[in-house]
Amino acid sequence: MNQKIFVLLGFLAISFIFLSAALGLPSSILPSPIRILLLLFSLIFDVIAFASRRYAYIMLPIIKQHKRRVVLSDSEPYSLSGSEDAIIKMEKGEYTATVYISIPLYRSATEMSEMEKIDFSRQVSKLVGISSDPIRFTTEMYMMNKDAYIQTLRDAINIAETEEAEMMQSGKGAEKIEVVRGKLAMWRNILQNTALAQSMELISYVSISAYGGKEYEALSMAQQKAREAISGIGSTFGVTPSIITGKDILKFVEPEYLIPFSTVSEEIKKKTEEEVI
Amino acid sequence: MDQTDILYLSLSLIIILIVFGTASSFGKGWSIIAVLLAFLALILILALNWVDFVIMPTFTKILGISFQPAKDYIIQKGQDSIIKNVNGLYYATGFVTGNLFSYTFKEEDVEANVEEKMTSAPENWERAVMSLGFPFKFHVIAVGKDVQKIRDELEGKRSYQEFQLSQALQNQKASSETAITEIKRKISVYQAKLDRISAGEKPIASIMYFETTAVGVSEKAANDALSIQIKQLQIAMSSLNLSIIRVVGRELYTLFKFNFGLPLTYEDLASEFSQEG
Repeated sequence: MNQKIFVLLGFLAISFIFLSAALGLPSSILPSPIRILLLLFSLIFDVIAFASRRYAYIMLPIIKQHKRRVVLSDSEPYSLSGSEDAIIKMEKGEYTATVYISIPLYRSATEMSEMEKIDFSRQVSKLVGISSDPIRFTTEMYMMNKDAYIQTLRDAINIAETEEAEMMQSGKGAEKIEVVRGKLAMWRNILQNTALAQSMELISYVSISAYGGKEYEALSMAQQKAREAISGIGSTFGVTPSIITGKDILKFVEPEYLIPFSTVSEEIKKKTEEEVI
Repeated sequence: MDQTDILYLSLSLIIILIVFGTASSFGKGWSIIAVLLAFLALILILALNWVDFVIMPTFTKILGISFQPAKDYIIQKGQDSIIKNVNGLYYATGFVTGNLFSYTFKEEDVEANVEEKMTSAPENWERAVMSLGFPFKFHVIAVGKDVQKIRDELEGKRSYQEFQLSQALQNQKASSETAITEIKRKISVYQAKLDRISAGEKPIASIMYFETTAVGVSEKAANDALSIQIKQLQIAMSSLNLSIIRVVGRELYTLFKFNFGLPLTYEDLASEFSQEG
């Protein structure tokens, strides 16, 4: 806030200097068109001063860098904590730890009676009011990671292709070659169908943050808040929420974990092939 | 408008007022140009105060300025999406508002149709989610407010309206029937809110939004896919009577930062947005 006020006062001071020059100097020294030009500069800096209320974060880098691609930050947006149960962000010398809590809810409205639906809606309303600190509830739908499955299919295709080539070279019976070709066609069809059909997964989770001068301070504070949130969620829904650890956290923060690489590359390859054909 | 907005506005307007007051010193003909320039600056400042989300993205779009908010991430020049390049694939992420609960607190006759809404909500939500075949997240950031403070505020407002009503009833000749009905409506709104708090419901401030990610082989392809997804999201969520608006400008940057750490207090959260829930 203080820094923002200095930015405002700085721009206003520049604006005022230009205005003083435009108004103070007589026409005999400065002709009117130049005075109007000074006035224009003064007004531009006045508008910039006002815009700094919300846009100081981009205005200063734009002025300093003189580039079309303005770098606001070139560091990683976060890092995983040593205990792998939170992400840590460092900004202006302060650490922010964010903990993710999974809510294992597997109920569908289609299986609920009217009363159960009302109860469920009430539980959700109650849930959002469990914390007096900012807390984020998220429902996330993401593509299932079929990387491992797709790789298995690709390996099976490679083996079958090698088998077919070896049989052709050794001149084995046409029947055996047909069997291998049939197997190859089957694996290819499975791969094609797997890549074409998107499998989606739905997950609900809560994220909660805490600040600290040191990483461990922020982390222990966030864990404390998470424990409180877990007891609140548990008593509201009657489920056992858990803190998400390790690489599972990444699917909440990294876009490429929402759409896994090999699944999507297979889809793009298929689309490109279709377009070419 | 908060106090900081008023401070920025008044300081910026001082320069403009000086120009209006001293325009005659620029000489004949030039004074009109000075007034016109000041008038333009005034309009720009007021526009920045109310519709900054239109002006700033237009400004960066015209100048072709894009931003790097963190390593590997780029905010496009239109400030409507954030792109991440991973192994030659581009992941475009966009945000749209989706305030699910706002209407219930604004309505006068809250209890009359609340059960109907609560019964249909889980089913409508499931139907909407099932119709979407791409990754998305629905976030609710909630902060529990001080119950006693809110109760005191509501009681104060209700008492003021009751006083207005008694005044209006005493001077029935001067007050119109419409004015009396309006005051009665306001009283019943405050009473309904007080009743809900008495029934154990916690007053909360909330921000609700959707986040969706699309993938493409180029920045343009990813952005185009994202625009299509956002349109599909708008159609799917129309059954929930949501106001879905694409987030652009500084709020996009704020929501991006929320993925790595949430604000600590309600004040921090509210200061990031022009409107609060």
